[in-house]
Amino acid sequence: MKSKKNIPEVDSDEAYAKHKKVYPREVHGLFATFRVLGVFVLLGGYYLVPWLQWDGHQAVLFDLPARKFYIFSLTFWPQDFIYLAALLIIAAFSLFFFTALAGRLWCGYACPQTVWTEVFLWIERKVEGSRNKQIKLDKGPLTKYKVSRKVIKHALWLALSLWTGFTFVGYFTPILELGQSFIHWTLGPWETFWIFFYGFATYGNAGWMREQVCIYMCPYARFQSAMFDKDTLVISYDEARGEPRGSRKKKDNPKEQGLGDCVDCTLCVQVCPTGIDIRKGMQYQCIGCAACIDVCNEVMGKMGYAKNLVRYTTLNAMEGVKTRILRPRIIIYFLLLVFISSLLVYKMAVRVPLELDIIRDRNALYRETNEGLVENIYTLKIINMDDKAQTYKLTITGIDGIKVIQKIKQIKVNSGEVLDLPISIQVDPVNLKKTAESLNFDLISTTNPDIHVEETGRFIGPLVR
Amino acid sequence: MTQDGKEIPVIQKVIAVLWPSFLTAGVATILFFAYFDPQLLMQVSGYGEISRMAGYTIGFFLFWILTSITCVLTCYFQRPCDKK
Repeated sequence: MKSKKNIPEVDSDEAYAKHKKVYPREVHGLFATFRVLGVFVLLGGYYLVPWLQWDGHQAVLFDLPARKFYIFSLTFWPQDFIYLAALLIIAAFSLFFFTALAGRLWCGYACPQTVWTEVFLWIERKVEGSRNKQIKLDKGPLTKYKVSRKVIKHALWLALSLWTGFTFVGYFTPILELGQSFIHWTLGPWETFWIFFYGFATYGNAGWMREQVCIYMCPYARFQSAMFDKDTLVISYDEARGEPRGSRKKKDNPKEQGLGDCVDCTLCVQVCPTGIDIRKGMQYQCIGCAACIDVCNEVMGKMGYAKNLVRYTTLNAMEGVKTRILRPRIIIYFLLLVFISSLLVYKMAVRVPLELDIIRDRNALYRETNEGLVENIYTLKIINMDDKAQTYKLTITGIDGIKVIQKIKQIKVNSGEVLDLPISIQVDPVNLKKTAESLNFDLISTTNPDIHVEETGRFIGPLVR
Repeated sequence: MTQDGKEIPVIQKVIAVLWPSFLTAGVATILFFAYFDPQLLMQVSGYGEISRMAGYTIGFFLFWILTSITCVLTCYFQRPCDKK
């Protein structure tokens, strides 16, 4: 796209402009510290957690080959999918809640794109030097030095990416075995593929794509404005105080020169990871990382001016209206969040790692035996979702004089397995009050009485008049 | 895809097709395989032995192909009809 000057910039135009590499300048300050802390906690957790062991298994393992998820002492089966769904709903509402309250906190401090890019930028700075050196290096001719810097940088990036991919796969297949296969060069084709796939995605996104991921690819970046209102925290430049901007000496009195507080040092532009100028007002590219706040405060401090020329504020505050924190959307998001979270906690607390499905024989409704009893055939599907093998006791009640014929005497089910238990129930027709009677199936573990389920089944007999 | 008579860069077209389809294919894979075990599916349909990891991977890419075809068609139908 050829850029046309003197035409006001339009969003769509910007999206089509040829991409220019952004060289974010290193920044120190309160918010940068928060972000580095976020990097250590989140990435530290990401790389360490798969190595934790718990009770003889990997503490956090989404064991796809075995179709079970371990999270410390809990084991989840595909039947527990509802919990994962609830967790995702909670995550979504948390995002809505924090976005409405404090803007793009997620983007600035917690998004994987941000934290990995932060690490990649750190490596780039260690290898290629400061922002100015990087720009000079990229503009300069292809020297031996340039090639060596680029090779080292990409080698480090690739090594970190592959480690990231390895860790990622380590969440889905036991990481100790994976590590051993890696050392002995005996990785399976699918594991190898996913290590490279995720590694390549990390390298591409954090090394090359960076802010373009946020601007062009991120769905959240597109719809987050729907959660904003005039009381949401945004990062903004105080135009009334800053303008007219202009350079001056420290000892000059800006008022005499007719200048505002902005010294036009352009540091806020240089530190911006998405390459925007915060002084132009609110822009959708702003990921709320607050790097411009940090650097501007440093400059204001050096000049001896008041801080927070660029600051976290709200649209209302900028217009001189009082900011309301408790507003309907915040309260609604919060209540929904509390409701779903409590529901999940409650459901988890009463969760029984045992499932009983009663399946009636499809071929015949009922059969009469030689002794004149009415017989119904069932298959009980017993799923043991506990992490140990269990033996169960089955009790069936509901009709007087009930006779249960169970061929498999001991109901023993290994951890994570399904037992098909055929049973036949015989009843004297005189005891049948209705054509279809309810039966109560009661299954209880012989070792742990907390593992106990009750289900209702139907017993069908001849028409009763 | 055109907007205001201007072509968008090829890379953005590629992203517009591959990226949303990647996201939805991921969701579809999770939902599908939470309920269906690839090993059992292969057994029942008589295609023979397959490891679960292979099943998930192939499943994911089949979903991705399907969803990206949808994205390509969406992009295609966004073109203006009255071409000069």
